[in-house]
Amino acid sequence: MSLLRYTLRRFAQAIPVLIGIVTITFFLANQIPGDPVEIMLGPTPAQEQVEAIRARYGLDRPIYVRYFTYLSGVATGDLGLSIYYDRPVLEMIMLRLPVTLLLMLSAFAFAIVTAIPLGVISAKRRNEPADHVSRIVSLIGVSTPSFWIGLVLIIVFAFYLGWFPARGLVLPWANPADVRGAATQLEVLRQSAHHLFLPMIALGTLQMAQITRIERSSMVDSLQGEYVKLARAYGVPESTIVRKHAFQVAQLPVITIIGLGLSTALGGAVLTETVFEIQGMGRLIITAINNQDYELIMGTTLVFGVVYVVGVILTDITYSYLDPRVTYGED
Amino acid sequence: MSINSATSDDDTPDGDDESGGPDEVEARVGLRYTLKQVRQDTTARIGTYIVGLMTFVAVFAAFDYYILDYAIAEAVLYNPETDPDQVRRLLPPVGMENQFGQGVLEHPLGTDHRGRDLLSRTIYGTRIAMTVGFLATAIGLGGGTVIGAVSGYYGGWIDDVLQRVTETIYAIPFLVLVIAFMTAFGRDLTFAMIGVGITAIPVFNRLIRSRVVSIREEDYVEAARAAGVKDRNIIFRHIIPNSFAPVLVQATLQVGVSILIVAGLSFLGFGAQPPTPSWGQMLSASRGYMLPAPTFSIFPGIAILITVIGFNILGDGLQDALDPRINN
Amino acid sequence: MSEPLLSVRDLKTQFFTEDGTVRAVDGISFDVNEGEIVGLVGESGAGKSVATSSILRLVDSPGEIVGGEIEFKGETIFGLEADDDGELRPRDEMLTEEEMRKQIRGREIAIIFQDPMESLNPVFTVGGQLREFIEINRGLDPDEAKAEAIDMLREVGIPAPESRYDEYPHQFSGGMRQRVLIAMALACQPDLIIADEPTTALDVTVEGEILEMVTDLQEKYGTSFIWVTHDMSVVAEICDRVNVMYLGEIIEQAEVDDLFYDTKHPYTSALLDSMPRPDRTVDELRPIEGVMPEAIDPPSGCRFHSRCPEAREVCREVHPEPRDLSEEGEALHTAACVKHDAFDVGYDESPPIDTQATGGFSAGFTETGGEAE
Repeated sequence: MSLLRYTLRRFAQAIPVLIGIVTITFFLANQIPGDPVEIMLGPTPAQEQVEAIRARYGLDRPIYVRYFTYLSGVATGDLGLSIYYDRPVLEMIMLRLPVTLLLMLSAFAFAIVTAIPLGVISAKRRNEPADHVSRIVSLIGVSTPSFWIGLVLIIVFAFYLGWFPARGLVLPWANPADVRGAATQLEVLRQSAHHLFLPMIALGTLQMAQITRIERSSMVDSLQGEYVKLARAYGVPESTIVRKHAFQVAQLPVITIIGLGLSTALGGAVLTETVFEIQGMGRLIITAINNQDYELIMGTTLVFGVVYVVGVILTDITYSYLDPRVTYGED
Repeated sequence: MSINSATSDDDTPDGDDESGGPDEVEARVGLRYTLKQVRQDTTARIGTYIVGLMTFVAVFAAFDYYILDYAIAEAVLYNPETDPDQVRRLLPPVGMENQFGQGVLEHPLGTDHRGRDLLSRTIYGTRIAMTVGFLATAIGLGGGTVIGAVSGYYGGWIDDVLQRVTETIYAIPFLVLVIAFMTAFGRDLTFAMIGVGITAIPVFNRLIRSRVVSIREEDYVEAARAAGVKDRNIIFRHIIPNSFAPVLVQATLQVGVSILIVAGLSFLGFGAQPPTPSWGQMLSASRGYMLPAPTFSIFPGIAILITVIGFNILGDGLQDALDPRINN
Repeated sequence: MSEPLLSVRDLKTQFFTEDGTVRAVDGISFDVNEGEIVGLVGESGAGKSVATSSILRLVDSPGEIVGGEIEFKGETIFGLEADDDGELRPRDEMLTEEEMRKQIRGREIAIIFQDPMESLNPVFTVGGQLREFIEINRGLDPDEAKAEAIDMLREVGIPAPESRYDEYPHQFSGGMRQRVLIAMALACQPDLIIADEPTTALDVTVEGEILEMVTDLQEKYGTSFIWVTHDMSVVAEICDRVNVMYLGEIIEQAEVDDLFYDTKHPYTSALLDSMPRPDRTVDELRPIEGVMPEAIDPPSGCRFHSRCPEAREVCREVHPEPRDLSEEGEALHTAACVKHDAFDVGYDESPPIDTQATGGFSAGFTETGGEAE
């Protein structure tokens, strides 16, 4: 089976999971105590006003009808209306999702770029000082709450040193006219990078630490492999052995860990956005919850699930691309 | 209503009762072996010291809180929840100075935004962190063990259904899942614990299931089945005790993870509510004072860091110490 | 005969572990002449593999070559000398690590490992791996190397080599992978190939095919082999000369026929008795009694005395060095056993001792236990 068909099949297989996510979030959201209409209109609204609102948001129908209506809506890309923002949920998500994706991608880029060399050096110089340093760094990395790293970074690099802004984010593709102090797209980009730097490190540190640990142990295994001995016995230079022969095999578990790390990182994004006051998906779901905006809660949770599922499928595909032993035939 | 609560609430106590007896016989053998290995491994020993110290502090704090109503805290330090003289707001640690004044010896780590002693609050915050860490892990372990064992042992459609459900739970990023769960059922600590426990179910489920699938075909399990031993007894007498080592390692690491998640939840306002001292919520409160009183943000974070490091190196040490058994 | 291709003298390789020093190879000497297949035989743990990796200077940490001399085609692979203070240091003419890698490994001495399943890298194509080694060791450009690789795959009996060139190791069977490894070794056109138990992991029919193929190719290319094995029947089939190793020492070496029909060392006899032979009918096979002691703490005197059916008191005390026991006009045949007159240490007068093999005290633990009480 080709890679394309494998990809399509993986997405098809994800559909039941997505329906499951919709179901879980729908019933969780409907479990929420309190009345959104009340929050919207105050404690003593006029009766006809309440009914009009209920009818508009479909709250007057029984729960199973609402469930199936919602489900079919999701299938056609209609995630309902946000009561709080009084706009379609999808519109709000489209506004916020790029921010979170940008944050996630830069955090993972930072993590991968730092962790892979660190892990490789650590494995290559096992039990030497460089290894000890890298192991201690990664131990601290997996043990530190990301939001606290954020706070410390703000205190040190924003307040004391003044190198980076403490809050907010500028999107690199934003119109220069909308960005204060930016006349050209290049300046927008510069501001964007400037704003992104601290949140990226706060969110990426945990991933960096986890990838370093796996990279190290995987490289240690790989460097002891028979194929490495064979390459040595055939006069392959040690640097080629590390960079090619041992490295490529060692990346397979790393890819798996990156996929699993997506879940942690998405949760971490909620915290990081809170710390740095970034208006992304994380803040959106917190706003939705604080205002009991059912459809927005469901929509954002679903999108978090979709992002994770898509991420996992992408890592699976990368894995199957790198490991020739994966056949596309079975599971 | 919710799949989540049904599995954990109903099945966990049941599962524990079943496994209590036979589990212990085998586990004691495993435990003695484990202790011996841990004693020989330096990292594991350091981890044990940290975890032991934190557990001791947590038990002490719980005792002082539940039984003595902070009598010891007031006698030795300060009451972590109230401060009668709210004058000394946001003092820095002793020897340092900020715009609110000079640090004083009575408040070695300074005070928070309401003038409460930070050292006292940090110490008493241990109680929440450790309780949540252990209980959430226990919920995840109990639920995951039952689901994983049943799923792996019976296979077929039972396996399919259970695995699809856990897979779905796993597909929602867990912080988001817990937030949604707590929004639906309650924002307090109990639901934080249950919620975090539920997110740990898939981890243990996966571990136990893969063990069960491989052990199921072993000769002694076949023999037990041929001899007419009940399925339930095979699972709990033979299969689960045999997974002792990897589960112990995973559970140790999971306590650290749970402490991190609950700290994150408290930071967002879900979990222990003020004035109960909890590290995440202290950090949340400190956000407003990062510029004038930066040290307020430092100490609770260091407390989290040290505790989680303790569990992580204990877990890593256990992994190394028990490796031959795990590889079996 | 002219200079041997490879000459190993008094080679010592030790592993420095927490529990003590393991003398894995403890003073072995042997030669390999041009065009010869030399066997290195012994039980697992005898130090065969350590000996071969020492020849390539690829002993893994914590192991280290601590003494002896390895000469290959006039080059010094390993050799020490004492400096002014009496400290041992590498000789000036000893090849550097860089020279070993560029001139010797692969190019002059190639190796075939035991486990064909693990020896090929799972994420690269078989052809790619073969081509890489050919490029490195023969200085060919990629296209030439690829053509050479395909020729070599055909040579070792892989059907449709053009298409299999692009396949991955997991798509090959064990026997096919071993053929690929042999192709790798031959394709680099070395003068010596070390085959480290290459057929042990394969089933008997595949083993037979591969041995036959190697014999043919060896004749065609004239390459010398060191064939490491624990299987005397493989030795009989393929080797010209044989070295028998026990606990880090070579205890007998001879031409293959002499070894089989004029066995001089009790250990070799025991090895031969423990395997079925087409030329003899025996009632039952006799396995060697006991297990090989640890190389970390070898027995005193003759290392085999604890398991030797012919052991005498003197064997416990005298450590025999191998001596030439051949008659006038015969090929060299050395053995390290004091029962031969050449040693003259009073073996005949020495009283026999009880060992595991002579049926003494340790033959049945419960039995003697019963008697004692």
